[in-house]
Amino acid sequence: MNNTINRLVIVGGGTAGWLTAGVIAAEHSCTSADQHNNFQLSLVESPDIATIGVGEGTWPSMRSTLQKMGISETDFFRECSASFKQGTLFTGWQTGAGDDSYSHPFTAPHGYAETNLAPYWQPQRDKINFADAVGSQSALFEDKLAPKQITTPEYAFHANYGYHLDAGKFAEFLRKHCVEKLGIKHVKANVTGINTADNGDIASIETDSHGSIAGDLFIDCSGSRALLLGQHYDIPICDKNDILFNNTALAAQIPYNNDSDPISSCTLSTAQTAGWIWDIGLPTRRGIGHVYSSAHNSEERAGEELLSYIATTAGPKLAAEATLRKVQFSPGHRTKFWHKNCVAIGMSAGFIEPLEASALVLVELSAAMIAEQLPASRDHMDLVAKRFNDKFLYRWDSIIDFLKLHYILTQRSDTDYWRDNCRTASIPESLQEKVALWRHQSPWHRDSHHVDELFPSASFQYILYGMGFKTKAHHTVRRSDAEAQKVVGRLFQENAARAQQLSGNMPSNRDLIDKIHSYGFQKI
Amino acid sequence: MSNYALLNKEQHKDLKIITQRGASYGDNVMHAMTFALEFRDVQSCYPIFFCKDEQTGGLYPTALFGLEQDHNQFLNESGWDATYIPLSVRRHPFLIGFQSASGNGEEQKAPVVSLDMDHPRISDTEGEQLFDDKGEPSKYLQSTIATLENIHRGLEHNKGFIAAILEYELLEPFTLEVTLNNGSTHQLQGFYTIAEEKLHKLDGPALGELNAKGYLQPIFMAVASIARVRTLIDKKNALLNG
Repeated sequence: MNNTINRLVIVGGGTAGWLTAGVIAAEHSCTSADQHNNFQLSLVESPDIATIGVGEGTWPSMRSTLQKMGISETDFFRECSASFKQGTLFTGWQTGAGDDSYSHPFTAPHGYAETNLAPYWQPQRDKINFADAVGSQSALFEDKLAPKQITTPEYAFHANYGYHLDAGKFAEFLRKHCVEKLGIKHVKANVTGINTADNGDIASIETDSHGSIAGDLFIDCSGSRALLLGQHYDIPICDKNDILFNNTALAAQIPYNNDSDPISSCTLSTAQTAGWIWDIGLPTRRGIGHVYSSAHNSEERAGEELLSYIATTAGPKLAAEATLRKVQFSPGHRTKFWHKNCVAIGMSAGFIEPLEASALVLVELSAAMIAEQLPASRDHMDLVAKRFNDKFLYRWDSIIDFLKLHYILTQRSDTDYWRDNCRTASIPESLQEKVALWRHQSPWHRDSHHVDELFPSASFQYILYGMGFKTKAHHTVRRSDAEAQKVVGRLFQENAARAQQLSGNMPSNRDLIDKIHSYGFQKI
Repeated sequence: MSNYALLNKEQHKDLKIITQRGASYGDNVMHAMTFALEFRDVQSCYPIFFCKDEQTGGLYPTALFGLEQDHNQFLNESGWDATYIPLSVRRHPFLIGFQSASGNGEEQKAPVVSLDMDHPRISDTEGEQLFDDKGEPSKYLQSTIATLENIHRGLEHNKGFIAAILEYELLEPFTLEVTLNNGSTHQLQGFYTIAEEKLHKLDGPALGELNAKGYLQPIFMAVASIARVRTLIDKKNALLNG
């Protein structure tokens, strides 16, 4: 019996579906030009269900994801209303006074591979904030500058970056590339039933307009409905609402007052009484939304807070014209993601709040692992599935710990929301242990247990020290201290010089995006 | 800053242009734009590289005159010591531009000549007359206009040339590291050169296409011009010894 894995069927055509299709097709040729190639990749998309358009922020990983798919970065910028994202600026998280803000840039502290600057910054913490002391990127995005110049080749940079993008346009852009360039078969049909094989696998899916579609591996990208993994296989959801309270979002799209208004080159995240507001600058508009806990806030009050933010940052006229769209979700993830010959990617696998924009990166990583470890035959699919499940359960736990960290270091006690967030019962034990340890040693490479850790230890440093966390100094004099002091002095100086040089040479985010539209990036 | 004015027979009838070469006339430049149409002449004197326009990121070919910013090794007290001077150097203080003119209801672009009134080559007392006593363009002006027309043609030709060599991925970044006799090193960054390995792997149809468009000869001229880097190093060493 031939049980080779040759026919992949993706169900669902949102960003998750097309991104998954593109990542897999970038690795495995599915063009029929090669007669010996039996590998087929089909994507079944319902013509009746609108895509949700989740995720308007990406990680730097998206650069290589797009590049591997053979996408021109210039086309991507022009067609997806894309902008540069260099990190996040958090305001109001520490005290809520409004003047308290800190940065989480994408670039790790200077010299991070060899030297941990955190302990040496601590004595100067009242003079300079952590991100500015150890890196040059926070200064760039605080001034709304770009991470590169028009002479920098596509995908290359002076400072590491990801993107802000229009999720609807992005899905459409990926679809076009996948179908026209990568040879993916696009089937527009509604799934009406599932045919099961003797071993419990999905043999084929029934559709309303294209009959039955057989496959060796089915990828469920059907969103929160989770047609295959959820509705068919009944894999339960592991609820995380007791840790991360946010479960509702009100979203708006706000135009600029002038075409020349500056575009932020980082995500702005501003804490509210029971949640936080995201503010994402695209060239054409801002995407602004309030994500909050419905147990701690009413929709009416959350809406008022959002409109007040819009009025303050864009003026009362645009606030009065704003239309708010409500999205509800249950924070959590499936207890497993790959079951039999079916694997879920995107919201069908799970969803938690948009803090730190983990939605798209999980799609990229899931698709990349499938592409890389695509089982040759059904015989060892279960082994790959087990590895996949172990890896992604660990990743979800990492995300949950990292997101929760943003809440538990706050000094805010103005509402139940912030007080409840700091209650020990709501904090995973794994995170409690890490924080206890970090009171005596700052996070560094030893905190990465896996080579491909989702959040590098540098990210933990930025959140901890941005939030005013204190790590106690060593209680012993280390023999290496004298030597380290010299290196550290040089690193701080180099960093200050680099920050000045970058700030002096980078164009504004708006200017560079305009130039990409006019001239495009060179490939070299 | 430049202060460009449209060339005008009345206004500029007594104006003179200094044609002598020298640092004080803006000639002390490390490199200047060149055109594939003049590569044959340029490569006999200078190495040809490619670099990026800082405003647009667009690539253009450039002739290298020195190893440091604002340093042209071909300049000496008596002028510019080379048998050929690139068009883009010779054009100063003139510029060719285009003016939209609507005639017969159609938008037309007419070439116009401007000159930079703040350029050090502009003089009332010395240099070449622009117009003769009858107000007709002087021989000097006629040859300048020919230069400007060549530049215009060269720019148009460059567009296709650059697009073609980018399409065939024939350019690669290149860092020139030079060690002089006194041990000092110079590093030139931001330049690109013809990727010879890729060039040698081009197949018949690709070579045929490049040749038909007149791009193949300049590609090889650019490759050959790299030998002129030696000239620059020798000149620099001679200066250090001297």
